[in-house]
This record gives sequence, C-alpha cells and structure tokens, in this order.
Amino acid sequence: MRHELTLRIGPATFRVGSAWRAPIDALARLYAAYPDQRGAIADFTVRLQPTSLARRWVRPSIFITGDHGLADAAPMSLAHGLLAAEMGMNLQMALGWRRHLLLHASSVEKDGRALVMTGESGSGKSTLAALLGERGWRLMGDEFALLDLDSGAILPFPRLVSLKNRAIDVVAGAVAADRMGPLLRATAKGDIRHMVPRADAVARMTEGAAPALLLFPRFGHQAEVRPVGQGEAFMRLTQASTNYVALGEPGFAALTRFVTGAPARAIDFPSGEAAFDMVDRLWDELA
Amino acid sequence: MSAALLVRALRDPASVAALDATGWNGLIAAARAERLIGTLAWRLDGGAVPAAAAPILDDARRDAEREARQALWEADRAAQALRGLDVRLLLLKGTAYVAAGLRAGQGRFIGDLDILVPRAAMPQVEEALMAAGWEWVKPDPYDDAYYRQWMHELPPMIHRTRDRMIDVHHTVLPLTARQTPDAEAMIADAVAITDGLYILSTEDRIVHSVAHMLADGDLQGGLRNLWDIYCLLPDADPRTLDARADRHGLLRHVSQARRLAAALYGDGERLTVWDRLVRARLLARDGWGRETRKLLVFAFYLRSHWLRMPPQMLVRHLWTKWRKGHRPQ
Amino acid sequence: MQQEGPAMDRMKRYRLDRRDSCRVCPLDDLVLLYHPRSGQTHMVISPVPEMLERMVDGAPVTASDLHDRLARDYDLGPRDVALAQVAAQLEALEALGLVCAA
Repeated sequence: MRHELTLRIGPATFRVGSAWRAPIDALARLYAAYPDQRGAIADFTVRLQPTSLARRWVRPSIFITGDHGLADAAPMSLAHGLLAAEMGMNLQMALGWRRHLLLHASSVEKDGRALVMTGESGSGKSTLAALLGERGWRLMGDEFALLDLDSGAILPFPRLVSLKNRAIDVVAGAVAADRMGPLLRATAKGDIRHMVPRADAVARMTEGAAPALLLFPRFGHQAEVRPVGQGEAFMRLTQASTNYVALGEPGFAALTRFVTGAPARAIDFPSGEAAFDMVDRLWDELA
Repeated sequence: MSAALLVRALRDPASVAALDATGWNGLIAAARAERLIGTLAWRLDGGAVPAAAAPILDDARRDAEREARQALWEADRAAQALRGLDVRLLLLKGTAYVAAGLRAGQGRFIGDLDILVPRAAMPQVEEALMAAGWEWVKPDPYDDAYYRQWMHELPPMIHRTRDRMIDVHHTVLPLTARQTPDAEAMIADAVAITDGLYILSTEDRIVHSVAHMLADGDLQGGLRNLWDIYCLLPDADPRTLDARADRHGLLRHVSQARRLAAALYGDGERLTVWDRLVRARLLARDGWGRETRKLLVFAFYLRSHWLRMPPQMLVRHLWTKWRKGHRPQ
Repeated sequence: MQQEGPAMDRMKRYRLDRRDSCRVCPLDDLVLLYHPRSGQTHMVISPVPEMLERMVDGAPVTASDLHDRLARDYDLGPRDVALAQVAAQLEALEALGLVCAA
C-alpha cells in the first residue's frame, strides 16, 4: 500500500497500510516512543483502504480491514483516520490473537501486582485506568488485558488510551499537552481523543504482573461496593473475552485460575475522586 | 504477487528459506486471505522459519486443531439429531476430510458443516434438525424461496446454542446448473468412516470438490479448493476417476483441475489458454492480502452466476441482490 | 402420553463415554465443567456434578439406578420427586452431549 508503518504494542506487531498519508503520520507521531519495528515480520496486517475507487479522493471514506475484518464494518471519514487505524489494530487483536486470553478490560499495576477492571463501554474502566496511571500506578492497558496461559500473569497492551466525550477534559487536565492526540469530533462513538501512555508504561510493556484484584466499575451511580461470586465473575469475563472459546482448554484453565485466585468486587461510583478512594481502600483490604 | 508465494511455499516448503520480512508478510497475508494459513503451518512444520513467524504458524496450527475438533463435534451432534431416521450422515468437504483422517484435512479451515442427504429425505431431515435446536439463519422470503426452488441445499441453518451452521445439500450443483451430477449415485456409493459417519467414495470426493470449484463458484477460495483436490487425487485410480467424472458430466472439469493442481502444487503441467485465465484469477492477490485484477475477478463472479442459472433468471437474481446493496467482495 | 413419558424416561439407560469426561472446576457458588470434545463450558449446580461423578465407571444406568447410587450418600427426600429430577437432568445432559443413550 502507498503508506505504511510497523508498530509493536505489548507482545503484538502490526503492519498498518493506508491509501492516505494522514493516518500513518498521526500514528507515527503518537507512537514515536514505541519500539521501532521497521522491516519486521508482523503478527497482523491492517489495511485502511478506500471504500471504492473514487473514495480515495472524493469525500475520502475509509474501509477498515486486514487479516481479520468484518464485511459490514461502517466506513469512516478520513478526518477520523487515526481512530480507524486504532480500530483496525483492535480488530486484529479481538479476532486473531491466540497467545493469551484476551479480556476486554483495563489494567494497572503496583508493586508487581495487577488491578483488572472490566465492564461495558461507558463503565469508566478506561478513564479510571488512565487517571490511575497518572497517580502512581503503571498503566498496563485501557482496552485489552492479556492473561498469560502458563503463568497466569496479566500482560500489558498499552496502546494509546482512547478517551470519549466527558472523559476527554478530565484527563487532558491531568497530562501534558504533547501526550494528547487531535480531538476527533462526532465519530460514531462521540468525540474521541487519544492519550499517549506515560514513558514507563511503554518502556515496561512486556512486563506482566500477577492479578490481585478484579473490579467491575460502573460510573454515574451512588457509591456502592458489592461482592461478586466466582461464578458470576467467570461468566462476565467469558463475555468480556473475544477468544475464550477459540483457546479451548488452556483458556478454561487460565480463566478459572484467575477467578479463583483474585477477589472480585463490583463498584458503583459517582465521580473520579470517589473511585480513587474506593480503589485504594479495596486494594489495601483485598490485594 | 503474494498468492504466488503461497502456492510456492505449499509446493516446496523449503522455498521459504529465501524469504525476507516483506516476503513473509506477504505470504502470511495471502495465506490468511485464502484461508490456507493452517495448511501452510502444517506444511512448514518442522522446517526452519524465522523466530517472528514461528508463533504465527503455531497459532494457526492450534486454531486448525480446534476447528477440526469442533467440526467433528458438530458432525456428532447432527448424527445424533438424525438418529432414528433412515438417513446416513454423509459428510462433505472439510469435516469429511478430518473425520476420515485425510491429508486434505490437515490444517484445513472448516466453516460450516456440509452434509448430503437424498432429496426425498429433506423434509424429515429438516424437521429432525429443527427439533434438535437448529433454526433458519435468514428470514428473507426471497432468499428462502430462491434456495428451495433453485439451489442444491436448504437455506443455511444455525444451531440455537452452539452458534454453528449446517448446510444440508440434496444435489451437488444447483438444479439450474448446466451439469447435473448424480447425487443419488454418490449417496449410494458413500463409504463408512466411524460412529455412523459417511464420506463420499474416493472418486466422488474429487468430482464433488471439482464441481464446486470449476463448475459452480466464482473461484473465491479457489486456491484452497485446488489444494484439497491436489491432496485427494493420489488416492484415486485415474481411470476409475475419469469414468466416474464422465458419469457425472464433469470429465472436462476434472481434467482441468488435474492440470491446474499439477501446475500450481505439483510437478508442473502444460496449460491451455483457459487454464491460464483460471490460474491468473486464482493468483490474484497482492502482498497486503488484497484481491487484484478486479476486472478478471468480476468476470469470474458474473460467470459463476451465468453457470448456475439461465440468463433471465440471472438478471432477476442479480437485480434483487443489488437492490439490497450486495457487491462481490 | 404425559403419564407415560416420564415413566419411560426412567427406564432409559444412559452412560458416560470416556471421551466425554469433563475437566471439573468447583467455584464458590457453582461448578464449571469443560467438555473437551465440544469445547463448551457448562455451569452446573448440584446434583449434576454428583451425578456425573457416579457415572465415571462408564456403566449404563437408568435414572432409578442413579437415584439409588446418589441416595447412598445424600438425603434426597421423597423418592418420586427426586427421581423425576434425576431423570430430567439426565435428559438435559444428553441434549448437551455430556452423556449418551446406552
């Protein structure tokens, strides 16, 4: 393809090809601190291609695909090219990664132990992880947590943090301007802005941590902590995993080990400050 | 052209030693796009591959093993559902190859469960499957009527809880196609594998695979079809195969498949002009896994519809599809 | 028919094929079964794990046999009620492919 870049995030290498320069330039700027992978054999190929021949130039419209793709993926505007590239990489992980159990969860680490947070989009797990990453924790990832099948450790996948709508201002206030990407207005998921993880998160992106606490956060509710049984935790994590079924027995072994080893709580929180208090308290108490 | 790289790697696994990173990226992208990555992984097993490629191939091998296991389970479930009917569970394509332990099944991608049953038994089979938890995938009345009236299978069904599809065929090609292979003869000559599962005879397996590749489809997935055929051919006696192909009206197609299999995966063969066009279509994929030669690909797409049905119907079908926004990939 | 059905079920013999033996993981509130042949994970509660445990020898059993085996270790309450439950569970397990008709 005309423009390309090879990137490594955690254990995975992506070759991103694009019919346009802009998405590749945006990626290159925001991933500048990540390992240079030029000329590497990539785990996945991502393609940002025109939805039709004319759409390369006229109202450019991106079709996101690659080794793994969805036939009915919605086309995206070139103005959202960075988001398209990120979605293309996520798609490869979600559909194609087999070396770890992939959990749709954020994770942060302290003292060699990991806090894993999972929930629906909008639960606040991503924002919470981003903010904890600025408050003494190491950010391991805002979207995917990788559960190692042999060691049971959580491995990082510290891609750019994707901030949505109200979370944008909250986080932008806490980090330096050069770590923020362009504001992408009116995407299918609302306004989106990417944040580059701190240097230590990138430098230690192959370093795992034993899971010590599992939280199911829910933003926008009265503060409340509820215990979660192992069965419920297991079920919700299988739903939060895109490759549980594909991994078969090793996936079963890893996930049962996780839910029997780490305590789980559901937390409702009305604000970031309330969430920090709850996380600190539960971490001291349980982890 | 990375499809050419893929074909060469399958023919001669040692050839990958000469690939640089760009070559490997192209090879992997093409193998994934053609759904031959598992087959490639099996072919390259034990040989020297770069450290970065090894885990990709390991993943593909494990995926293929799991798919095979899952396919056999679906076959077992279908056999269970049809128990009590006087119908043998005759497996087709990938599931059959895996169940019978054939070389064509090694690392093979397996999607749906395909079975062949006598036309007269279709209503019973449909009823038994519904009772065991399968249900229709699409509620579109046009598609449904189209399938029942003209195609060689029931509309696809999916299992309510296991989320796996089954295709129940009663003929080899659509009723509208020019050739009419004798499905009842194929069913009569099927051979037992184990656990109440059956597979087509050595020759019919090849004829069936060729029918799908050359007399029916638009050659999407053609490299994989041809690999199946290449792996199945050594098991058959050439003269018996010719006689069988002739009986099903597909001798010309079987001969072409033999030439193409030898040219692409074997020791080479002289090709006709038409063979060369087919080969060009089969190899239309670039180093990013994209389909190239759009016009040629589109021509084969049109041809596939032309082969399947009389022109007036073709117009009606394409029109109905296009109104719904369908485009060839 | 409704009178006959359950009675017939109690005569039906089931067995646990060695190929269908599951990997078992007890959690604090339920038991997980991983069935390698199908790749499916099942969440079950008593009496299912106990039933399967008493079928590992592979011998064919009727619901009534299995009830009696369970009754040696557990207080199952009135026989009729418990037997109907065991029969219903066996039927459900057969539908999942965890046990088969013998």
